[in-house]
Amino acid sequence: MDAMQELGNIGAAHAATTLSQMLSSPVEMSVPKIKVVDVAQLANYIGEESAALVVFELQGEIPHGGYIIFYISRKSAVYLTNTMLGLTDPDRPLNEMDESALLEVGNIMASAFLDATAELLGFIMLPSPPVLTIDMAHAAMQSLIAQMQEDIDEVMLFSTELFCAEHKIDSDIIMMPETSTLKTFVERLENLMKPS
Amino acid sequence: MPDPSSQNKVPVMIGIGEYHVGSGPMMAIGLGSCIGLTIYDKDRHIGAMVHIMLPESSGRTDRPGKYADTAVLLLLKKLSDMGCQKGSLVVKMAGGACMFEYFGNNLNIGERNAEKVRAILADNRLRIASEEVGGKSGRTVAFYPDDGGKVTVRSADGVAHEI
Repeated sequence: MDAMQELGNIGAAHAATTLSQMLSSPVEMSVPKIKVVDVAQLANYIGEESAALVVFELQGEIPHGGYIIFYISRKSAVYLTNTMLGLTDPDRPLNEMDESALLEVGNIMASAFLDATAELLGFIMLPSPPVLTIDMAHAAMQSLIAQMQEDIDEVMLFSTELFCAEHKIDSDIIMMPETSTLKTFVERLENLMKPS
Repeated sequence: MPDPSSQNKVPVMIGIGEYHVGSGPMMAIGLGSCIGLTIYDKDRHIGAMVHIMLPESSGRTDRPGKYADTAVLLLLKKLSDMGCQKGSLVVKMAGGACMFEYFGNNLNIGERNAEKVRAILADNRLRIASEEVGGKSGRTVAFYPDDGGKVTVRSADGVAHEI
């Protein structure tokens, strides 16, 4: 579990660095958490609040490996794109330009996350093209869980909060691997820790 | 006698794969491809609600509320055990959206969930009185058996309407 935590840590740290570069502001990150969540309890972790989710399927050496998600509340999403686009109104509706900006941020962060974890694990994980939804967060996560390869009662979420105090941006980067991907992670990590 | 305070009671939250039977308010939040199915007994003013995630149980029996095929039968059994007559039941359904077309690979789970629910209801000679399924948006569904079996649906923009 410690090694898994480290995996999430390295991925999230790289994502935080890229976000910080994009915003030209410091970005802090929480301690990465690994949560095992029973699907019946999902609403205790992710509610019905409106949020933007940029979703990527994990591809590469493991096809359909699970998902990586850049999650940002609707409010923070406006602050984020305002910062990127040089706008100021915090109450405006999100438009197509915001959507492109969110996709771009998500893309860069997911790539940074996966590059870092791939380097540690020694196998390649690539993000699929991104899909953006701005809707009830629970509904989006639920839809992803329903279409995972296996019929599961619990999901494992690698979740790290990234926040930028200067621009009032609070976001999460979440990896939700398939059971088969988790097994591969564990095998690789065990190999890494064996004395050579 | 409808209870005027029904809307003010804290609803029972029904998580994915869970169900509830009773007369007080109940709710399933953030349905994407999931289905919120409600069955109301208009004579007894009680109802049952389930939060379905997948169409087929494929033989699994530990979480009957999670699958359309077992969930419909589960609710009918629970209501029948309480003495409800089939002729008094009012069935409503909401959810079954497709939020991520790209990842779907032709397996539109929301649509398949709704189809399975309809098929099992038809097998049991029940029809759906009202439904709001499909589309691309998430929904929160609330059910008020002691307020005439009212069912409301709300999307992310926050406006609840009755179905």
